[in-house]
Amino acid sequence: MLVAKRPNHNFAKIQPPVEKSAAFPVLKFIFRLKKMAAPDELFCWEGDWDLPSVSTDCLVVLAYAQFAGAPLKLRKICNPWRSPGGSLPALRTNQNETLSRPSDIIIHLRKQKFNADFDLSAKEGADSLAFISLLEEKLMPALIYTFWVEPKNYVEVTRRWYAEHMMFPLNFFLPGRMQSRQLEKLRLLRGDEHLEAGEELEKELYRDAAECMNLLSQRLGSHKFFFGDSPSSLDAYVFGHLAPILKCRLPNGKLQQHLKSLDNLSDFCSNILLLYFPRDGREPSAQKAPAAPEAGDFDNVPNKRRKQLLSALFALGAMLSYALLTGMVSIQHGHQEALEEPPDPEHIGAHEEEGDG
Amino acid sequence: MSLAAEAFVSQMAAAEPWPENATLYQPLKDHQILLSDHASSLSVQAYLRMCGLPVQVVCRYNAEYMSPSGKIPFIHVGNQVVSELGPIVQFTKAKGHSLSDSLDDVQRAEMKAYMELVYNMLLTSELFVQWCDDATAAEISRPRYSSPYSWPLGNILAYQKQWEVRRKMNAIGWGGKTLEQVYEDVNQCCQALSQRLGTQPYFFNKQATELDALVFGHLFTILTTRLTSTELAERVKSYSNLLSFCRRIEQIYFDDKKLMKD
Repeated sequence: MLVAKRPNHNFAKIQPPVEKSAAFPVLKFIFRLKKMAAPDELFCWEGDWDLPSVSTDCLVVLAYAQFAGAPLKLRKICNPWRSPGGSLPALRTNQNETLSRPSDIIIHLRKQKFNADFDLSAKEGADSLAFISLLEEKLMPALIYTFWVEPKNYVEVTRRWYAEHMMFPLNFFLPGRMQSRQLEKLRLLRGDEHLEAGEELEKELYRDAAECMNLLSQRLGSHKFFFGDSPSSLDAYVFGHLAPILKCRLPNGKLQQHLKSLDNLSDFCSNILLLYFPRDGREPSAQKAPAAPEAGDFDNVPNKRRKQLLSALFALGAMLSYALLTGMVSIQHGHQEALEEPPDPEHIGAHEEEGDG
Repeated sequence: MSLAAEAFVSQMAAAEPWPENATLYQPLKDHQILLSDHASSLSVQAYLRMCGLPVQVVCRYNAEYMSPSGKIPFIHVGNQVVSELGPIVQFTKAKGHSLSDSLDDVQRAEMKAYMELVYNMLLTSELFVQWCDDATAAEISRPRYSSPYSWPLGNILAYQKQWEVRRKMNAIGWGGKTLEQVYEDVNQCCQALSQRLGTQPYFFNKQATELDALVFGHLFTILTTRLTSTELAERVKSYSNLLSFCRRIEQIYFDDKKLMKD
């Protein structure tokens, strides 16, 4: 019931604007037709803030699938327990395998001949791998910090978003559990067991992240994409890591400020959103527009009726059990007691005799 | 290293020239140091030799606990202690010794990216093979790591280290990988490095940079260290330009003492 089925735009049948291998269009078309019979299913976090998904890993996979023109059946959900791998993103292939690492999913798509890196030379492929490592080592820790560890950002934006989008009992503990997992990851990455949010750590992480963004900006220069005119997997990774920083309005927005000062990188992100995710840009704003007058309070909660009913039931249950436990109300088992009451005198007598003997 | 300390260090560093008695600390070479630590230590030694800065290598069994960041190796210069290649490069730069000044912006971005590639794939694979492959951990890593300590302490420290590395692998999504997949990652990384190097003498043509030092340290250590299986070295050996790159750097910068036994 949680799976947000969107029959009209679930099916990502987008053609890439630049056809990668024009050499065998017919073969490719036949191949694609064959695949369409049973497309792979991709489970992703729902989108917000004008993004197709809120999670970096999901964005990477979504962007790659769009670049390569892979026909995936897209399921945007807000409950990681609904995903076949227990985490998001997850790709369920038509052989019923489940992949959850973005790199594994990209390799799988590549094997299905949906290859966005087809035109890259060997050296460009090597450069891609190097810059993806740069993102994972330098930008990833800062992303974890800014969304999950920085107290103000976490409480006001991240936790609130996840709590509002998850269903009733999960929203109380899953965001907290996700946070402790991210914090643990950051601690292990930094090799510091007792790492806490603080000015010193923030400065260090943001300095690395800013350096990484500068290097990316220098590498990109005035090109439209990192390697020529068509996007590749590196573009998908860069987009996935930078788009949340660019689009999410956080109370502590130092990373966003820095990214906005690098014109070519922020244009790069907006360009990809415009070209490959035109629907996601409009959809949330269209939803928000009518809700704007009453958006002053917390009224725009999904499944409001059901949540109200559930909370009423929960409160009722709590009051009843309190009343029962303290003895304000007691239930008389009148009928049963009546049956049990008359003890069997003969039987007891027999027992006593046995005891004596 | 904290930012304030770093700013202080670079200020201090600029004031003083490189002293004659600089020392580099690492664990005991013969029966304690592990593959990944040796690779990091050799990278720093290669870097300092490329800069022409003399350093004396000292082996201490507690080097890991002496290091300010808990990582191997660290250098003791004048009255300052700096650990790991990245901060050491910053430190020497403050003293006016740099290998990457002649690169342009794009080249510097690429150099940094390839250095992260080595950390992200090669170093992580070394740690994985060392601590997550049961045979290697039982026969080599745990006995060597615990060798300086007496009975219960050595075992406790070794298992603690193994536990920490495994948790890290799980956190970065490497937990479910098999040894074969990790070898494939090493292969992929070497392929990328080999492609980038091509037929040039160094990664950025004529001049050695910190990237060359880092790659040399790791590849040379992988090639010359005996593990339970030779698989890791075999993956590197299939790239002939990387092999000759290692040999060339050894000849040019480590001529005084032969590192490669065969």
